[in-house]
Amino acid sequence: MLKVEGLSKEFRNGRGKSAKSVYAVKNLSFQCKPGEIYGLLGPNGAGKTTTLRCLSTLIKPTAGNAFIDQYNVIEHGQIFRSKIGFLTSDMKLDGYFTPDYMMNWFGKLNKMEDDVINQRKEKLFNDLQMMDFIHKKIDKLSTGMKQKTAVAISLIHDPDVIIFDEPTNGLDIVTSKAVTDFLISRAKAGKIVIISTHNMTIAEKLCHRFGILVKGELKEEGTLSEIIEGSNWGNLEDVFFSYILPGGDHV
Amino acid sequence: MFSDSFIILRKELKRMFTDRRLLFMLVILPLIMLPLMYSFMGRTSKARQSEISQYTSRIAILSQQGSEESTTLFLASLAELNTEIVIVQNDEFDVALQQVTDKDVELFIVMPEGMDQNLDENTVFDFTIYHNSTADYSDFAFSQVQLAFSAVSEAVIRARILDGGLSEDILTVFTINNSLSPEVYDLAKEGSVMGKIISMMLPFFIVIYLFANSMKVGLDSVAGEKERGTLAILLVNQVSRLSIVLGKMMAVMIAAIVGAISSAIGLKIASRYLISMYSESSESIAEYTMGTTALFQFAIVVVPLAILISSLVLVVSTFAKNVKEGQGMIMPVYLAVMVMGMTTMQLGDTPPEWMRITPLFNSLVVLKDIFMQTAAWGNIVYAMVTSLLVAAGLIFVTLKMFNDERVLFRI
Repeated sequence: MLKVEGLSKEFRNGRGKSAKSVYAVKNLSFQCKPGEIYGLLGPNGAGKTTTLRCLSTLIKPTAGNAFIDQYNVIEHGQIFRSKIGFLTSDMKLDGYFTPDYMMNWFGKLNKMEDDVINQRKEKLFNDLQMMDFIHKKIDKLSTGMKQKTAVAISLIHDPDVIIFDEPTNGLDIVTSKAVTDFLISRAKAGKIVIISTHNMTIAEKLCHRFGILVKGELKEEGTLSEIIEGSNWGNLEDVFFSYILPGGDHV
Repeated sequence: MFSDSFIILRKELKRMFTDRRLLFMLVILPLIMLPLMYSFMGRTSKARQSEISQYTSRIAILSQQGSEESTTLFLASLAELNTEIVIVQNDEFDVALQQVTDKDVELFIVMPEGMDQNLDENTVFDFTIYHNSTADYSDFAFSQVQLAFSAVSEAVIRARILDGGLSEDILTVFTINNSLSPEVYDLAKEGSVMGKIISMMLPFFIVIYLFANSMKVGLDSVAGEKERGTLAILLVNQVSRLSIVLGKMMAVMIAAIVGAISSAIGLKIASRYLISMYSESSESIAEYTMGTTALFQFAIVVVPLAILISSLVLVVSTFAKNVKEGQGMIMPVYLAVMVMGMTTMQLGDTPPEWMRITPLFNSLVVLKDIFMQTAAWGNIVYAMVTSLLVAAGLIFVTLKMFNDERVLFRI
């Protein structure tokens, strides 16, 4: 179980007395069960990436906390990281090395034995259809191949919680399907999957539950039917726009 | 923790030693650049000297009234030099001056009026030699003519003394170290003359090479990773930030030491050109040897120094947003280190006390002592400990920055 409780992240622009405080995320709470795919939806600047970066331990929350079982993100950073696989579009791989080398290297950093790394590599390479390019330098790979490599590396240690920020951004339709199918298979295997996206079609297909984030605050949360039933709209996209478009019900 | 650092180190080293471009910059270039540079400088200088000495200098001579006979005497002294004598008349005086200015003629010698009589009556007279200090050929001809005329002067004095019935010995009161060859009187330890030359140059080169090679790898190590977006994926794994910092610091240190060794080999190859620029000693650098103790002392000073320099570069690399910003930030530090190196180069045998207690300076001073084979263990240990303490402080600062999202992600 992943629990986020009252998570806030404040950024300060400028220095001294003239510094202005901006809340990227404010008092955010939600939770996800194993086998569930949770979609964090929101326009650009809504606080999706900041939330996920807090969960990955890359940045520290200003207030609140997040828990995986008995471990929390503030006090147990290293254990917390062992339980998550995190990927965001601005995370790049060292192009000098091959996917195979990087998988071995990250496996070692995640304290895995050689034979476990090899088994895990074989599974991920097959699941993500990567066998054709695992010995090519990452620099020479296409965007889709690089994204598959990044997905595989982030999951080398078989984490309980998968956190992907815009996982299909910039991918062609085939690679996009490969990644979403893979995430569905992980959820079926009992993993918790959290994705952020502003692509409603993918969100509807993929996620079991949703949270709509606007200006750092969670405006709606629930399953697709729960969200639609509680609104005047017939689909998720219209509910989403009602929060962000001028003249929308909630603007 | 250390096992994670070694995993990071292994990847950094694989990158370093399999990337042909980096390998060329780090190992091959210093190895060939110094010999090429110094041999080019040496050859150019020799070729120039040889060209100047083979050049036929044109010398204009104005013989004034009463100096006809003695002019012949002085002209005879120039016969052995490679010269072309042009006799000018009084009315050509200004033309001859202009020719020297225009570098058409190297020298214009005006024989003094009544020189024959001055010689006969043993009275002093003054030559006027016009030359052009901006022309190498004129400078060379000037020095050659001064030597030739001094020889004539000595011969005339000798003849005057002999004519007066005196002994030639009257010209010499005493001599110093004239009985045996000069080496007999020099009681310096064998090889220490070269040690003195090496101790003057090498600490400076060592610190510069360590710093330059640290920069080649160190700036890319964190600032480059930030710029390429490859650092974040490392930070979300189960590795502590201290392990990342230590792994990267060790990689930078190894790069610095490998680069410095390569540069030192290049320097040894280039040494015959370099030594000749600093000394006329007959010893060659090949004759200089360091014993096991000196080599051990050298290692325990240089390795902590490399750790200190690597840590310094890593602090800047961690703070900088990208490699370009890092280069801008590190330049003043590099210049400061160069000045420190140059200062120790000019030191006498007894450096000031503040240098012995200042980190980095004390390593340079102790390296000098080690090359001179006069290093005291107390100073060696002190230099080693201060380097490591400062490095530990810098690693602590780097670690603080690694835990500060504002520095790491500039948010």
